[in-house]
Amino acid sequence: MSPLDTGTLLLLLGWGTLVALDLVSVPQAMYARPLVAGTVAGLIAGDVTTGLSLGVLLELFALDVLPVGAARYPDHGPATVAAVAAAAGAPWPERMGMAVLLALLLAVLGGWSLQRLRHRNAEALHDRAAALAAGSQPGLRALQWGGLGRDAIRGVLLTALGLAGALLLRAFPPFPPRLQGLLAAAAIGCALAAVAGGAARSAGRGPRLYWLIAGLAAGLVIALGLG
Amino acid sequence: MKTQGRALAFARLFAIQGDWNYERMLGIGMGYAAEPLLDELKTRDPARHTAAVVRSAEFFNCNPNLAGLALGALARAERDGVPGEQVSRLRTALCGPLGAIGDRLFWAGVVPALSALAIAAVVLGAGVWAVAGFLLVYNTVRVSTAWWSLRTGLHEGLQVGGAVGRSWLPWAADRVGPVAGFAVGLAVPLAGRWLLKGLGPQAMVLAVFLAMGGVALSRWGGTHYSAVRYALVVLVLLAAGGMVML
Repeated sequence: MSPLDTGTLLLLLGWGTLVALDLVSVPQAMYARPLVAGTVAGLIAGDVTTGLSLGVLLELFALDVLPVGAARYPDHGPATVAAVAAAAGAPWPERMGMAVLLALLLAVLGGWSLQRLRHRNAEALHDRAAALAAGSQPGLRALQWGGLGRDAIRGVLLTALGLAGALLLRAFPPFPPRLQGLLAAAAIGCALAAVAGGAARSAGRGPRLYWLIAGLAAGLVIALGLG
Repeated sequence: MKTQGRALAFARLFAIQGDWNYERMLGIGMGYAAEPLLDELKTRDPARHTAAVVRSAEFFNCNPNLAGLALGALARAERDGVPGEQVSRLRTALCGPLGAIGDRLFWAGVVPALSALAIAAVVLGAGVWAVAGFLLVYNTVRVSTAWWSLRTGLHEGLQVGGAVGRSWLPWAADRVGPVAGFAVGLAVPLAGRWLLKGLGPQAMVLAVFLAMGGVALSRWGGTHYSAVRYALVVLVLLAAGGMVML
């Protein structure tokens, strides 16, 4: 496994920051989805296959959650970038389980940081309450740009932490090969549980449930047909 | 309303959640996006302009992709000289419906449907093109919806609620859910097969067992269960146990 050079790490840091901003602040173009974040991170790290594979796996976790308004949800974007950095260049599924473990820890931390950001934005609002009450347009602009700036800082810090974890895992792989295989299988099992559980919850008992079952049947037939 | 102001407001819609907070939620983002739409009041009626800027940044929440409907309608009402209390009432009244219909359409419909179809396409060999297709289709839907929303809001003003009810939105929100259900169902076995390929029978049994256990817990595990929490517990226990035993 070749080391990640400084240029690649800087590109990954930039990409992770953009991805963190996309989740809520700007532009919500869905490149924060793990499938996209992972694929682009794979392109940057020179290992698209790992990027796509981890992107698909972590997207299954992301499909469990509806990112609705004030709800608490994990931030899977920068976490996926870090996971790809941890596993890029290694043969599949070596390092996949530990990359997913790193990603999930970071996703939880990212979700927590989003809550902190929202509280900090509210504090900034209090600081400029008088200006807002007076209809100050510069005050309004300062709040908007301040919020975006704070989210960008959150993204930089979260991605930097993730990349540091990834470099550590690359330098000192903690698990023997056989355990890595089991961890990979466990990560896949949990991801399938996440997407299936989320889909069943969203489907409820209405017509969506029948379409879900029909989709599962069609997927099984195609999967078996692929051999 | 000037085209330049409308274009600027449209661009600002994409950062409508830039200062999301627990007090005003999208309020500041709405105020920032409304700025160019309210500009012509500045010379015509400065007092009204100041009051409109204050109102534009008050509490607001809805699905960000449909915020243009409220933004346009509120700016139109301010321009038409509708009493301030009525503008505030319209603002409050739009939160619930635009949130509910937008969340059903986008977060529970378009996003999972396209994401799951992209996963299926990756498994079937489309590779990065599947990811590019996902981004292209989603953003085409999203950008055109945002443009339609702003235009409809500006055109309808106070009548925007009725216009939403008569529009394509309720129809689409009703139909996209089943499509998402089918697409996610399709993606689950395909993704499982693709990811587990080459891992051996022992790994497959473990994955299927954990998947079934996770689904059961999500059904009967109560409010403490979350998929990420389940995965973290499983992976940490397996790693710790494996390090001791292997």
